[in-house]
Amino acid sequence: MSFVRNIASGLRSLFRKERVSQELDEEVNGFLEMAAEEKIKQGMSRKEALRAVRLERGSLEVAKEVVRAAGWESFVESCWQDLRFAVRLLRKDPGFAAVAILTLALGIGANTAIFSVVQGVVLAPLPYREPDRLVMVWLNNNNLKSITDLSYADFVDWQRSARSFEKMAAYAWRGFDLSSPGTPEHLQGREISANFFAMLGVELAQGREFSTEEDRNGGAPVVIISNSLWRDRFGRSATAMGKSIVLDGVEATIIGVLPPDFRFGTDDADIYTPIGQRKLVEQNDRTVHNVVCVARLKAGVSMGQAEAEMNTVQETIDRLHPDMEEGLGAKLTPVKEQLVGDVRGTLLLLLGAVGVVLLIACANVANLLLVRTAARTREFSIRLALGAGRGRIVWQLVTESVLLSVLGGGLGVVAAKWGLNAALAAAASSLPRSENVRVNVSVLLFALGISIVVGILFGLAPALKSSRVDLQTSLKEGARGSTTGHQRAQSSLVVIQMALTVVLLAGAGLLFRTIQQLWKANLGFDAHNIITFQVGLSPSATGNGVGVRTAFQQLIERIRQIPGVQSADLSTLVPMSHQVNSLPFWVDSRRPASVAEAPRTLGFITGPDFQRVMGIPLIRGRFIGEQDTVNAPLVAVIDTELARTYFPDTDPIGHTISFAQVGGYRIVGVVGHVQHWELGFSSPFTAAQSYVSIYQIMDRWMTTIDTWTWVVVRTPLEASTVEPEIRKAVYGVGSDQPIYNVHTIKQTVSESMSSQRFPMIMLGIFAGLALLLASTGIYGVISYSVSQRVHEIGIRMALGADKRDVFRMVVGQGLALALAGLAIGVVGALILIRLLTSFSLLLYGVAASDPLTFTTVSVMLTLVAALACYVPARRAMRVDPMVALRYE
Amino acid sequence: MADKPSDLVQGTLDMLILKTLALEPMHGYGIAVRLEQMSNGVFRLNAGSLFVAFQRLQRDGLIRSEWKATENSRRAKYYVLTDQGRKRLNSETREWGRQVAAIARILEAS
Repeated sequence: MSFVRNIASGLRSLFRKERVSQELDEEVNGFLEMAAEEKIKQGMSRKEALRAVRLERGSLEVAKEVVRAAGWESFVESCWQDLRFAVRLLRKDPGFAAVAILTLALGIGANTAIFSVVQGVVLAPLPYREPDRLVMVWLNNNNLKSITDLSYADFVDWQRSARSFEKMAAYAWRGFDLSSPGTPEHLQGREISANFFAMLGVELAQGREFSTEEDRNGGAPVVIISNSLWRDRFGRSATAMGKSIVLDGVEATIIGVLPPDFRFGTDDADIYTPIGQRKLVEQNDRTVHNVVCVARLKAGVSMGQAEAEMNTVQETIDRLHPDMEEGLGAKLTPVKEQLVGDVRGTLLLLLGAVGVVLLIACANVANLLLVRTAARTREFSIRLALGAGRGRIVWQLVTESVLLSVLGGGLGVVAAKWGLNAALAAAASSLPRSENVRVNVSVLLFALGISIVVGILFGLAPALKSSRVDLQTSLKEGARGSTTGHQRAQSSLVVIQMALTVVLLAGAGLLFRTIQQLWKANLGFDAHNIITFQVGLSPSATGNGVGVRTAFQQLIERIRQIPGVQSADLSTLVPMSHQVNSLPFWVDSRRPASVAEAPRTLGFITGPDFQRVMGIPLIRGRFIGEQDTVNAPLVAVIDTELARTYFPDTDPIGHTISFAQVGGYRIVGVVGHVQHWELGFSSPFTAAQSYVSIYQIMDRWMTTIDTWTWVVVRTPLEASTVEPEIRKAVYGVGSDQPIYNVHTIKQTVSESMSSQRFPMIMLGIFAGLALLLASTGIYGVISYSVSQRVHEIGIRMALGADKRDVFRMVVGQGLALALAGLAIGVVGALILIRLLTSFSLLLYGVAASDPLTFTTVSVMLTLVAALACYVPARRAMRVDPMVALRYE
Repeated sequence: MADKPSDLVQGTLDMLILKTLALEPMHGYGIAVRLEQMSNGVFRLNAGSLFVAFQRLQRDGLIRSEWKATENSRRAKYYVLTDQGRKRLNSETREWGRQVAAIARILEAS
């Protein structure tokens, strides 16, 4: 209550100032009169009485002032006065205001933009119910220190045994060929278990999710579709429920539609089918690891407890299936870490970089303010002499700087919103949760917060400096003011700016060099002129192994006939495209006790022409050939990496390589090693590679292989010219064979560098901004210094210094600052970048102390600094000694 | 020291003003005179601190004010104790008594 009354009374004083002040006057005057009357009664004259009251009671004018200053409203009022004064000052000097506000808008805008990305991607909770309890559960191979997806059979066992979870669900990626209604199209999809959406806590927009009866073999064919598919093919009609669509030649009934904003991970899926209805061979085979398990922890169960339980569960499974991979445990990761983990480091790095840009911008504005306050020394001296407190003057100056930064911040938010839309349009595909990035309330609060902090930061130092003026000297010195202290402060700010700029430039430069190195890296194959794509085989052909083999052979034959196609063949793996087929293997009779201990090799299942299409060099023996059919003995080709590691002293040809669950293959050749993983990523993944013929794959596998088989085509023609030809050739047989995922290898390689390219572009932009700001900073300081030294320069010239000496003196002063900053910055960058590279994989093929980068940065910075000093130096040269001396 | 009016113990001015107003509503000068009389001239009140205290007490809702004519038919602002002010005066008087007794015990003990 009293708080409200306090506010109300304060507001009354603020807005009915006349009235309140009048009342106070009347009350105090009454007091004075009554006291005086008393005295007069005792025989004093009126004049004496008034004087006596003042002596006894203190000055009544002061009393009024004390009462006025006691409430909070007087503080507000003085702030308001300061603000109006600040606005007046800025309007008097629009040039200064514009430069300062634009500089701050750049710095704050860039920070706001990056923060809104960090906020939307990293900080904001996932859009599921109680997202902190969501985890992903992986198989964990302790021997190889790697985690993998699980098999569907594992998932069923886990779901039956685990007690730590409220719900456990699973999904597997799968492409679908949609042939009706509308034009045939290949769509990305997921197979999901019955309670997937309930586990996430997501409500469907229409219909329901799969029941447990539907999520099993022989269940009714049902499907859930994405909101966009519902919109495109059914016009958002509620009557879509219960209608059928044809997927891979099978009719399925729509029973649900997802909400429009549903996403799980980076890729959108349009089709969801029950995972329990997948092909039997995929359901039962424990060597097919393509299922991802997502689970919701029970309330009160920690990740550690759940992981311990899952380890026990997996041990039991291992004992029941001794021929499978024994020695596997389980590993839990929070869903959020899984979905955004990769970009978190990059985003925080960028936030740091953009913070540095803001610091540089602040230093610039602080410099401008120093000059301004130096010019106002007289004003402050007079106010101090008249009894203003130092605090009051500092407060007023800080009000001025905060006004600047808040105006800059407002403009910055507008710029951020505009820049963000442009940046997201370019980078959305490589950024998870990018749909969640927007300028919202917390971003606005952030912008306001940093505006105020920054305003205080760059305003406080000049303010403290100015309020400490020595009254004697500054009043005497008159208009010239005391400038030496200011110049030292300005010079240190320039040195700091230069140093920070060096750090940003070096970071951007190193990333640029990394990408350069990546392009130069030896890929192990000829990446030019290769197009890769996938084809859905006609459902009528995939019923049995023989049918698939024939269909593949005919497909490749037709593609080879296309004019301009030099060669073409099949492969289950395309280099640099994230695909994995990691197989446990052993050589000859050296079978390990448990499969989990066996080394891994990347298994390429290809046609006989693959090596020639890709341009992989043949080192020894031969590649797999036309003669290696199902009826011929099994043969394999290994790469130099596998040969070097497992046949260090012997010729591998004629030896046997055995794959778990499959059998032994006679090695007939050795080919060069191919860069399969993203460039720059090497060590944690399987390196050794081996090749077997797609035509020697067992029948039961052939029926599922088409969904993960690629066609690679070598042609000198453009992808866009060949693609329609390929479509024509493929569709010649039947129209239910969509072609999808058409890329050139060049594109795939380029995409594999996105984790370096995105930060490089952003860092490059920030470094450019920093350079611009720092050079205007050094320009401002040097030209101010020249204007202050006109007198001195005049004397020098009068005493015989020629123009070249003056020029050298001015440029030398600027370069000294730049070089000092450069030295500090190089040391800082070396330390910082070494620190950063120790826990991130951003650099490849370039040392953190790369001499070329650092030399280039140093030369660039020195040149820019020299250029910035050139203009004021020219002005100094034109000083006329006569005018300069008389000016005093 | 006894011949010179002394400063009030910090924080007690508010309590004394409330006590003065507990008898009857009073204007600013009247309160000052009453306090000096009751303290036999020990306290001499500065106008500044007095008016600040009025503003503070008013904002806390312990007193309210109204303009009235004095006995000399002059217009003056009279302060009136509110119910809340009366409660506060009682509790502060009790607390004061407790503290004074405690301090006295300490001083006598040595």
